[in-house]
Amino acid sequence: MIKKTLLTLLFFTGYLAANAQNSVLDVGIRMQKEIGLYYENGFTLNYSYKNLMPDKLYFGLTYVSSRFGTAINSNAIKQDNFLFSPAYYFRKNHLIRPFVRVDVGYFDADYGSKIFDVLPSKTLLLSSDLGVSVQTHCPLKLSASLGYNFITSNGTNNVPGTIYPVFYQLTLSWNLLNHKK
Amino acid sequence: MKKIFIAIVSLLLIAGCAKTPVVPASELGGGVIMDPSLTDPAAYRISVSQPNPTAAQAQIPVVICSHGYSASTFEWDEFRTWSNNTNKYYIDQVLLAGHGTTYAAFQASTWHDWESSIEDEYNLLVQEGYKNIDFAVSSTSCTLMLDMVHRGVFNNASTTVHIFLIDPIIIPSNKLLSVVGIVGSMLGYVTADNAPGEDVYYYHYRPQETLQQLENVLNTVRTELQEGITLPKNVYVKVYKSIKDPSADPISAVLVYNGIKTSSGGRIDLDFINSDIHVFTRLALVPNVTSLDRQNQVYAFTDITTRIFQ
Repeated sequence: MIKKTLLTLLFFTGYLAANAQNSVLDVGIRMQKEIGLYYENGFTLNYSYKNLMPDKLYFGLTYVSSRFGTAINSNAIKQDNFLFSPAYYFRKNHLIRPFVRVDVGYFDADYGSKIFDVLPSKTLLLSSDLGVSVQTHCPLKLSASLGYNFITSNGTNNVPGTIYPVFYQLTLSWNLLNHKK
Repeated sequence: MKKIFIAIVSLLLIAGCAKTPVVPASELGGGVIMDPSLTDPAAYRISVSQPNPTAAQAQIPVVICSHGYSASTFEWDEFRTWSNNTNKYYIDQVLLAGHGTTYAAFQASTWHDWESSIEDEYNLLVQEGYKNIDFAVSSTSCTLMLDMVHRGVFNNASTTVHIFLIDPIIIPSNKLLSVVGIVGSMLGYVTADNAPGEDVYYYHYRPQETLQQLENVLNTVRTELQEGITLPKNVYVKVYKSIKDPSADPISAVLVYNGIKTSSGGRIDLDFINSDIHVFTRLALVPNVTSLDRQNQVYAFTDITTRIFQ
């Protein structure tokens, strides 16, 4: 259900993007690290619509996974994060722009054996992060943020145990729609 | 602006001050109560009570039992009681360094010290001539044992070394442990919600230095498991894990199970236990113990004492 919703949002965002003239569609890679645990890397897409607080209000879709991080060639748990992230960027037309973001999403871990079916492997995600974005004069953007996961396991609450509270991320993206500053 | 600056400097000064709790004499760590294995080691360690075994005694399995972070030999007392002075195997209860004594000693100890307590006892028993040495360990001692296996401590064992891991911790249930390196020095120490009576056997005040040590050993062994640990030919490992655990996140069992291969490339044994108790084999002083909890304890003790002869 949640995956379907995210896919629908992705198509909706793509539709808007295709019809935009001054909208922004940043597509990029995201590198994320849970402090004390895994590197989780993946892809991100952030869209700002020309008629809705353009270049201030963004809607993002992100997929990061340990499959592209710590779990490469290791026994680390393969876990996937699907995120929908509204964000607000301050200081429009500045080189360095602070932003605040809320992330809601879905987490799914693959433990690799049916013996672990007694343990929780899926959960909703809710986090928030604060960061800065460096917007160059070309379509390239670099952003970094520090975030906090509000939903984590305490060992007894049916939340998978490999979601850690504090994380940081680095995103490198390219605006596909509007190359003019 | 000046006020803000003063406030920030004041906060930093307060944060930078050494914080040491006043531990009551009625609690472990207060300098009065000590682990009984320190004053009467022969009652706890076969290496002390029987340092020169006969040929027959040397063949009898010795089960080294060691406890978790902030605990003491108390954690394995029930196994000794349940064993009822059996002559089929010996029990050797090890106290981890810095535990069961003063707050300052605990604060000064490192996870390498904790691990040395187990390894030194094993080496002493080997030196004394014991031929069959096994381990039943709980919580953080499981983590320490896995590091010992990774370092090859048992690579030259001549008989099977059975290692039973009760509620191993690789991922802590309290995830804020992951930031103890950042905020620890500001806290100084944390307090534990021990059940009534437990403060005599478990440190109530936990120095942030030891929490950092705990975090370090968890990260070290998690990385070792990620890279993969292959058991030597003569090492057997079995994990028992409560499906809910307020101290050692149950997902720790996934990391241990997936991170270890037997010498023939197989999987280790794993039993999930229908329990919400951390170290489900220790029920003394645990509130609201159920009949299922008692069954779980007896199951584990029976399983361990059966498998050491296999």
